[in-house]
Amino acid sequence: MSERLRIAITKGRLLDQSVKLFEQAGLDCSPIKDPGRRLIHAVPNYPLDAVLAKAPDVITYVEHGVCDLGIVGRDTILEKGGAFYEVLDLGYGKCRFALAVKEGSDFYGTYKTRRIASKYPEVTRAFFEKKGMDVDIIKIEGSVELAPILGLTDAIVDIVETGATLKANGLVPIETVAEVSARLIVNTASMKLYKNQISDFIAKCEAQLEGKA
Amino acid sequence: MKLTINTPEGTRDRLFSECQERRQIQSRLTRLFRQRGYLEVSTPDTEYYDLFALSGSAIPQERMVKVGDPSGKFCVMRPDSTTPIARVAATKLCSLPLPQRLYYDQTVYRSNPAHNGGSREIPQCGVELIGAKGKKADLEIIVTAVDALRSCGAPRFHVELGHAGFFRDLAGRLELEEDKQEQMRALIEGKNFAALSAFLSPYDGHPACAALKQLSRLFGGTEVLDEAERLAGRTEAVDYLRDLYDELSAAGYGQYIRFDLGMVHQIDYYTGVVFRGYVEGAGDAVLSGGRYDHLVEVFGREAQATGFAVDVDAVARTLPEIVLPRLRCVVHYEPGYLAQALEAVDGRPAGTCELSPCRTLESTRNLARDKGAEAILVFDKDGERMVLV
Repeated sequence: MSERLRIAITKGRLLDQSVKLFEQAGLDCSPIKDPGRRLIHAVPNYPLDAVLAKAPDVITYVEHGVCDLGIVGRDTILEKGGAFYEVLDLGYGKCRFALAVKEGSDFYGTYKTRRIASKYPEVTRAFFEKKGMDVDIIKIEGSVELAPILGLTDAIVDIVETGATLKANGLVPIETVAEVSARLIVNTASMKLYKNQISDFIAKCEAQLEGKA
Repeated sequence: MKLTINTPEGTRDRLFSECQERRQIQSRLTRLFRQRGYLEVSTPDTEYYDLFALSGSAIPQERMVKVGDPSGKFCVMRPDSTTPIARVAATKLCSLPLPQRLYYDQTVYRSNPAHNGGSREIPQCGVELIGAKGKKADLEIIVTAVDALRSCGAPRFHVELGHAGFFRDLAGRLELEEDKQEQMRALIEGKNFAALSAFLSPYDGHPACAALKQLSRLFGGTEVLDEAERLAGRTEAVDYLRDLYDELSAAGYGQYIRFDLGMVHQIDYYTGVVFRGYVEGAGDAVLSGGRYDHLVEVFGREAQATGFAVDVDAVARTLPEIVLPRLRCVVHYEPGYLAQALEAVDGRPAGTCELSPCRTLESTRNLARDKGAEAILVFDKDGERMVLV
């Protein structure tokens, strides 16, 4: 293994905010911002190489140890699980998982087995299992709000930021399932084998987060 | 019917050098184990599910590979070897004096979520030292763990020690409810620094709180033990680890030893020192073990025990690939000259020379050409001669 650490960063909004965090910490992120055709981006003034990936792939790369570190939303961690260290709450990418129903409907007021639509069947399963409630979970890939509107399900479990989309579709969140934000994750073996380098990187991020708090 | 000719997910065929790479690790490990007085035991691939359920196995039910049994009882492919060996020690070996040193070289089976690239069949070599408690037993197992990784040829590795008692001590002082304690344990195990800190903030000011908050960061060299003492005061667990370290250093093992006091996995199973081995190039621990003093008694014999297992494939993957020797020579012999031909094959390095099954020299020549051999060794009535291809 090289002396440089490798980090996988979730593409999209988390990437922009991660770059911002890194830059505040003094890392030169120009190669990440202007990736060209390269797939691995070396930070010139810090021993760190970045790859950009879809959220679940970030976990896969870190779990298998081909990346030492990763930045990924807690939503993906909850859904996909895996064995790694989740060392920091980076504070950005904040939203929550919520259980939402059609306005005016009484979700808990029946003995019938309820049906839930979600893009996150594992999160949904864990939530109702904790409650000791049997539910039918239907996985929907696109706009989950459609499912209760079309009468397919009684409720949805989905990511809610402002609640505007729910409201526009006549749905109301009735319960928070889990809070979500971006997390810094670390491969279990890397943490031990490259302790000094990784601690240094974590401390750098932490210092910025504390500065903000 | 169309046959499925692929192997099931999580299983694979191993060819040539892959087999050798695995055998090499197995033979190095088992040679060491035998040298240290451990005797081999082999347990069935299939066991009753109850065996693992009753003994509080760390492998959750959904990760066990289930198989049917004519008795109608629920069976699984062994998800670990320690539990069956504890069963053997408590039953078949009950008349033998303790301690018993046992080793195994067998596969464990664990099902994985789909498409995660994990293997369902994990070859492990491991030892169990059954019926021995105390420092000398722990030392023996730890040095054997270090020597195990060293004997495999791992260039950069270390063994990390922790102690189940340290967490229990601290958590006990906080007097948490069981599920709260489990929540905290999971945060420490996952090294979830921020969430752990938030979880513990209601207990700020409590004497155990500062140490617990730092627990997931307490890994590294001996400075970790100093830090633990500063945070939690003198504890039996840390004193014991320091004592072990002094002995290990005196024996020349200090350079391979690190600590992780946040190693709090399977806290109900392990009763004392726990440890893991890390090798550069492997994405997770390749060796795992610890003291488990209550497992054997589940099967009816009181016997403290400690042991570890090495993930053979994980170690093999970190080592350079074995390059197999190239075929150089094919032996063609006329009827009546088999003995001479065999002597020629057996006298050369393995894999460099083989018998030709062909009847005519011409076919042997074609075969040698196809297989890339340089020469044909002919045995016939004129004696022995070498023909270039």
